[in-house]
Amino acid sequence: MPVTVKTFATSGEAAAALSSDRGARYLGGGTLVMRALNEGDIAISTIVRASDHALMRIDAAGSRVTIGAGVTFAKIIAERDLAFLHAPARSIGGPAVRNMGTVGGNLFASSPYGDFTVALLALDATVAVQSGLGAREVGIEEFLQSRERQAGLVLSISCQKPASADAFRYRKITRIKPKGGSVITLAAHLPTSSGRIVGARIALGSMAPTQLRAKSAERALEGRPLDATTISAAAAAATEGTSPTDNALASAWYRREIVGVHLRRLLSGQE
Amino acid sequence: MLELRKDIFADERDDNLKEIGKGTQRQDMLGHVTGTSTYFDDHKLQGMLHLKTVRSTHSHARLRRIDTTDAERSPGVRRIIRGADVPRNLNTLLSLINFGIDDEPSLAVDKVRYKGEPIVAVVADSPREAYEAMARIRIDYEALPSVFDVEEALKPGAPVVNETYPKNTFTYYDKYDHQKLRFGDVERGFGEADHVLEQRYQMSPIEHAPTETNGSIAAPDTNGRYVVYTSTQALFFSVDTCAKILDVPSNTFHFIGGTVGGGFGGKVDTITEPLAILGAMLTGRPVRYMLGREEEMQYGPPRGAERIYIKDGVMRDGRVVARKVRAYFDSGAYTRLSSYAAVKCAAHLPGPYTIPNVYGDVYCVFTNRTPATAMRGFGVTAMDFAIECQMDKLANLVGMDPMEFRILNAYRDGDMKAHRREAKNTALIECVQVAAEKSKWPLRDQFKRASSRKDGGGSRAVIPPTPRDADAQRAAALQQRTTYDRAPAAAVREAPPASQPSPPPPPRPQAPSHGAARFSSVFGTRRR
Repeated sequence: MPVTVKTFATSGEAAAALSSDRGARYLGGGTLVMRALNEGDIAISTIVRASDHALMRIDAAGSRVTIGAGVTFAKIIAERDLAFLHAPARSIGGPAVRNMGTVGGNLFASSPYGDFTVALLALDATVAVQSGLGAREVGIEEFLQSRERQAGLVLSISCQKPASADAFRYRKITRIKPKGGSVITLAAHLPTSSGRIVGARIALGSMAPTQLRAKSAERALEGRPLDATTISAAAAAATEGTSPTDNALASAWYRREIVGVHLRRLLSGQE
Repeated sequence: MLELRKDIFADERDDNLKEIGKGTQRQDMLGHVTGTSTYFDDHKLQGMLHLKTVRSTHSHARLRRIDTTDAERSPGVRRIIRGADVPRNLNTLLSLINFGIDDEPSLAVDKVRYKGEPIVAVVADSPREAYEAMARIRIDYEALPSVFDVEEALKPGAPVVNETYPKNTFTYYDKYDHQKLRFGDVERGFGEADHVLEQRYQMSPIEHAPTETNGSIAAPDTNGRYVVYTSTQALFFSVDTCAKILDVPSNTFHFIGGTVGGGFGGKVDTITEPLAILGAMLTGRPVRYMLGREEEMQYGPPRGAERIYIKDGVMRDGRVVARKVRAYFDSGAYTRLSSYAAVKCAAHLPGPYTIPNVYGDVYCVFTNRTPATAMRGFGVTAMDFAIECQMDKLANLVGMDPMEFRILNAYRDGDMKAHRREAKNTALIECVQVAAEKSKWPLRDQFKRASSRKDGGGSRAVIPPTPRDADAQRAAALQQRTTYDRAPAAAVREAPPASQPSPPPPPRPQAPSHGAARFSSVFGTRRR
């Protein structure tokens, strides 16, 4: 059966088409879906696209930013108001992939990909999803836990801008620079209030089938100043709750060994 | 700026070349930068069909049952090809030069020996329809114990990977399970050495990762011939391989090569052409068979992995007096070209150094891994890596500068190599000197003055008494004797062995018929 391509003018129609057809997949930049099709994934029978301009919108003027699901990483890098997201956007693929790959698609990229989502997870982003029942906002953590069962279309993501450049940190460990797949990816959001961390968020990529929060490490930081003792405690707790797997880039053992090392470096601001 | 030392390399290069420093264009560059280079996949023929293969999900398993009835009814399917449809479903690449026994089927029949081995080919109107039909093929496997480690594979009781070679080793000259090199007495060398260092080196397989994956398009031509557009990097080799597998004269094919989108040794195995042509023969339509990226990465042949043990004896003054090497080439499940890699490796020992006692055992081993093939200096690259690591460690052990250590041990013109051939045109000393100079690495005067053309030969040209292996008392196989084996008479000081060997037989008379006998310095004289 040949693959059918359906293009809709609005995201609502596209979402309805996705909800009604199990074999339908939404095509954003195509870096995941076209690869799957080229490699012979016969589970995909319909490709759904939407030409809705709302999906391409960036609203970054205020303290809360909203990024359309169809925004590419190249667009993010070109947007001055999204400076805090430039490092994660730049860490994805090469220029060709960044020109095509989208923020929405990255939410569905499984390990060792999906690095941008690690950053969004640390930023406590919310995901706007349009389904047959209408649009709703879901916390990113909840979204990731149920992403395989998601019916509908991601419209946008939004998050609070970090208070300072230092409050949000991101690092992707790769074997090939600058565009290798992730050995591990780390992001940390460290808001401070009178010298103490309040609402610490640490997110990890390639440490489990989906991106996850390192909650024990977050607890080790919470309410404390970011000093050597705190950093050591957080680094020691980094592996808790993780379940990395072996792949061609690294073994599960290696990932567990290095995640604390890199978290320590990230938190202490080392290169 | 590099310079050619004319005092050393007087006859090595035409002095009138005027290419360096000029903007000379590569002949294929214009096509590449304008995107007009033609690759095999740029041919879209009318009515072209697409071939895909169902691959083994097991590393080692018996094939109990293959059910394609459902797939045959799948929309768009033109033909399902099974092993029984392949005219000669057993081949080994180097059989074209009479080296090795046919051991690899185009499509597996009774057994699969590595994960990803092709079992059934589906020819359909579109790639999609081929994939859909593949999902409807049922294969019953009976999993067998598998072996992935070269040394495990050599142990008694190890699973037999490839029944053609029941000992899991390639057979050289119809009887030997490895390549042997013996020169002098290493055990005595170790006994006399001030230090002995033994190390283990393990390589990994390396994927060629070509931009263009392996593939070909075959189309029926007039007068019963087939035109084949292919990515092969060894066109005539591929023609003959296909002629053999499909059991037709090679002039049945018109192979058209051209731009290879990255080869590096990964496109000599002729893994797509036979099935593409067979598909065209069976359907009367053009057939395209191209590996996907994942197929290329997972099942396209890589550079083989080697395990190497080196044991060296070194004197306090830095002379390496004995080197014993055991190397295991992981050929994967079938031979492809690793048999030849082991020959090259043995021929390379002990590296570019004059060492009076050398002992080498090089094995080509079968395991349940993807068959390995050629890649950029295969057989030598890994061994060199091990040898040079070893040289650094030895230099450190005796407290010598690593560059000077190499100059001290480097072979020189007139020296006797471990293969009983005189070293000629050697230049390692000069290479090290230039490398030191360019990197501002200080060398002491005596090493700056050393030369490949001085102080070689003499006692360094002597073939030392070489004890025979206990199991090798019989006369060497006929094929191993070549006219090259006779060392210069003056230099030979070989002690009379326990039993007088028969003199080397005279060279065989050249057989009159075409191709009846072939001579190769590597393989010896072999009858077709």
